[in-house]
Amino acid sequence: MQKEDLINKNPLRVLNPLAPESLPDHRMGLVMARAGLGKTAILVQIAMDSMLRGQKVLHVSIGEGLEKAKAWYEDVYKYIAEGFHLENASEVEEELMRNRMIMTFKESAFSRLKLEERLNDLVYQNIFRPDIVVVDGYDFVQADYDSVMDLKEMMAAMNVQGWFSALRHREDDRKSAAGVPAPCHEVDGVFDTIIILQPEKDAILLNIIKDEYDGAAGKILNLDPSTMMVRD
Amino acid sequence: MTSNLDKLRNIGISAHIDSGKTTLTERILFYTQRIHAIHEVRGKDGVGAKMDSMELEKERGITIQSAATYCTWKGHAINIIDTPGHVDFTIEVERALRVLDGAVLILCSVGGVQSQSITVNRQMTRYKVPRMVFINKCDRTGANPYRVAQQVREKLDLNAVLLQIPIGLEGDLKGVVDLVTMKAIYFEGANGEEIRETEIPDELQEDAEAKREELLDAASMYSEELMEAILEGTPTEEMIRKAVRTGTLSLELVPVFMGSAYKNKGVQSMLDAVTEYLPTPKDINNTALDLMNDEQEITLINNPAAPLISLAFKLEDGRYGQLTYIRIYQGTMKKGDTIVNSRDGKKVKVGRLVRMHSDEMEDIEEAASGDIVALFGIDCASGDTFTSPDISVSMSSMHVPEPVISLAILPVDNKAQVNMSKALNRFTKEDPTFRTYVDHETNETIVSGMGELHLEVYIERMKREYQAEVQVGQPQVAYRETITQRAEFNYTHKKQTGGSGQFGRVGGFMEPMDEGEYEFEDKIVGGSIPREFISSCDKGFKKSMAKGSLAGAQITGIRVTINDGASHNVDSSDVAFQLAAVGAFKEGYQKAKPVILEPIMKVAVEGPSEFQGSIMGSLNQRRGMIIGTVEEANYTSVESEVPLSEMFGYSTVLRSLTQGKAEFTMEFATYRQVPKSVSEEIIKKFQEEKKNS
Repeated sequence: MQKEDLINKNPLRVLNPLAPESLPDHRMGLVMARAGLGKTAILVQIAMDSMLRGQKVLHVSIGEGLEKAKAWYEDVYKYIAEGFHLENASEVEEELMRNRMIMTFKESAFSRLKLEERLNDLVYQNIFRPDIVVVDGYDFVQADYDSVMDLKEMMAAMNVQGWFSALRHREDDRKSAAGVPAPCHEVDGVFDTIIILQPEKDAILLNIIKDEYDGAAGKILNLDPSTMMVRD
Repeated sequence: MTSNLDKLRNIGISAHIDSGKTTLTERILFYTQRIHAIHEVRGKDGVGAKMDSMELEKERGITIQSAATYCTWKGHAINIIDTPGHVDFTIEVERALRVLDGAVLILCSVGGVQSQSITVNRQMTRYKVPRMVFINKCDRTGANPYRVAQQVREKLDLNAVLLQIPIGLEGDLKGVVDLVTMKAIYFEGANGEEIRETEIPDELQEDAEAKREELLDAASMYSEELMEAILEGTPTEEMIRKAVRTGTLSLELVPVFMGSAYKNKGVQSMLDAVTEYLPTPKDINNTALDLMNDEQEITLINNPAAPLISLAFKLEDGRYGQLTYIRIYQGTMKKGDTIVNSRDGKKVKVGRLVRMHSDEMEDIEEAASGDIVALFGIDCASGDTFTSPDISVSMSSMHVPEPVISLAILPVDNKAQVNMSKALNRFTKEDPTFRTYVDHETNETIVSGMGELHLEVYIERMKREYQAEVQVGQPQVAYRETITQRAEFNYTHKKQTGGSGQFGRVGGFMEPMDEGEYEFEDKIVGGSIPREFISSCDKGFKKSMAKGSLAGAQITGIRVTINDGASHNVDSSDVAFQLAAVGAFKEGYQKAKPVILEPIMKVAVEGPSEFQGSIMGSLNQRRGMIIGTVEEANYTSVESEVPLSEMFGYSTVLRSLTQGKAEFTMEFATYRQVPKSVSEEIIKKFQEEKKNS
């Protein structure tokens, strides 16, 4: 299979349309789930899909090490390359990884200001100009509406899309009017797309509960629990 | 000889440069009564620490060569391999790790887990070496062993478990609390040799209990007996130790100790821990390859009565000739025995057998499985296997990386010429990553290795140890060439110059190959090339691989297939077909879109966060690809991949960019195609050199 087929056949296409003009400007996306259900896997697959299409992705990992983030990309790529019998797999991988940069922060070292400073470092020195910033491990429990809005505005000013992951807690059953669970029930308005991961018998469902892009809202995708890969 | 393997430990001490491992080793030798006075690495007394036996190491305050030393502690024999701390000498570290059963990873309580520790840890994982951590320099300002233990968990991905907590820190460091015995240990006397055990100070009681809980939690994963005892509230010291040991041996748990070697605190407890938690030779499964049985892997048995199998892991040029360090894996080696080098089948007699104490030695009569000893008067290379004459076994080959950098050296006079040859002969035997050859076109002697510093150190050693003064050329990157598409060839070599002529035609194709350097496939049917000349074709192609036409670099990753050809009854010969293959290769190579590859280094830079922007900028300017950054508190590390050709002089640039507050490590990662503009430059330079020569 060629790289182009891989892009076209990606089940994530419903979320990440090929014509970016159909997306709202500077989209903010959110993936929510309980621990261990595959939030990072989804973020990495969204990132990988964008990288395959030549977009640059900055992966920000809060609280996890660089090796772990790298390993996620390696694993996801391996599944894609082997599963779809990709031609020139090692060349494509080399090309892809040029489109990715990882920044890891200790929880205490992360702030909007720090991220902005780092992004400016990258952009002004022409080191790396991201189209998408993926933020894994952001603490929504400690964040209020203003601080999340602040992040959105910063990303909009830098002209990048943002994708976040949020951890749901079993014991907290608060929900927003739109059905977005805690800890994001008060910030759901900030996001254009929200996906909730729900375990089912032999799969994990990706429930797209909100999407400003018409095609995706209400759709449900599957996640193979053994590989954490999205399937139709 | 150590007859009781339970009482033997072969351990390595590995660490980041300047985390104090030489000082620690020095203290170990003092407490185990191998030496009777303490000297410092950069000591004012001019004696220097014992393990730094080379002058250069003394001067630079770093350890380059791994000297093995033997000592005893509470009825246990301990062989210590001191390993180098710089990445450029990685082969030394790797070779030392091969012969170890366990290791102590030294970390600085201020600097924590730095890039070199990550590399060394990765190597230890590769060789499955059970390890423990000693957090040193707890007396320094800014010491925080808890933070370092957390870094071990996060950065090294090890299950680090504290077995001690400090009593006081920085200037107030007094001793440690042992979380197994729940006693405070103080190290008193002029050199910390008087150990006083008392009750835990009141202010530390709560903290000690909390940390002991964590220890019990972690240890109980490896012992049901302990788990039950904890539930019943009766865990014993022995149960805890046994569980920690099981966890350590299974590589799933890493016990953490702490102190300050410089201030003589905590070293004896660490020695106790070496005997309690690190493996005996019996705990480790070693294998070798049976050369009589298609290199089948065999498991070695730690039996002194079994046939001898041993590995020469280090050579040193001593005062009395070549000293060969040997690890015995099976059987017994006695003075006067005849042993066989399985690489070349040569028989040698064991002359002098010694146990090394850094650069002093003790004669012994015999040594048995598990031991690390040294032999005199044996001519061999590092990595050779020695066995009893009746078996043919080789220890599995070690991973030896290809050199990535080379430079020309020119002796200043005749005397230097002679000495240089002696030195090169020695160094190449000692270190498989250090190579040398004479470039026949320029008549220059070229040395190649794993990095700038690697070569610099050998050139220094040449001057100091061999009085070989040499002029050094500009470092050159070892480029490679390869092809990017399949191409056919059909070449006829014909020569008629009176007498018998030369004739051979070779047809086929070449194609890129992902792994491996060169493959040759013969698909000739019907005898268009006679059988006896097939190997001539192979030879001709192989010869062509030595030098590509773009940059004169070695060619790699090509599979050549021949499927057609022609011969002549009289004029075809071995030479004719070799030349035909050379011509065919040239023809195919041009059509196969050849490209130049360059060595890419994995470069990790660490420094205060305020410099992150400049660090990333400096790497980016060097065509570096930034893989990622790790930021915590005010410290950042940047991981990147940078072409080696761009890294010359980087240490100076980095120093001035960061006021000397950042440092970097570099190791070979891979070969990658050079960008077009760079490729054009290299080709142009090569063409000019060719014209001028």
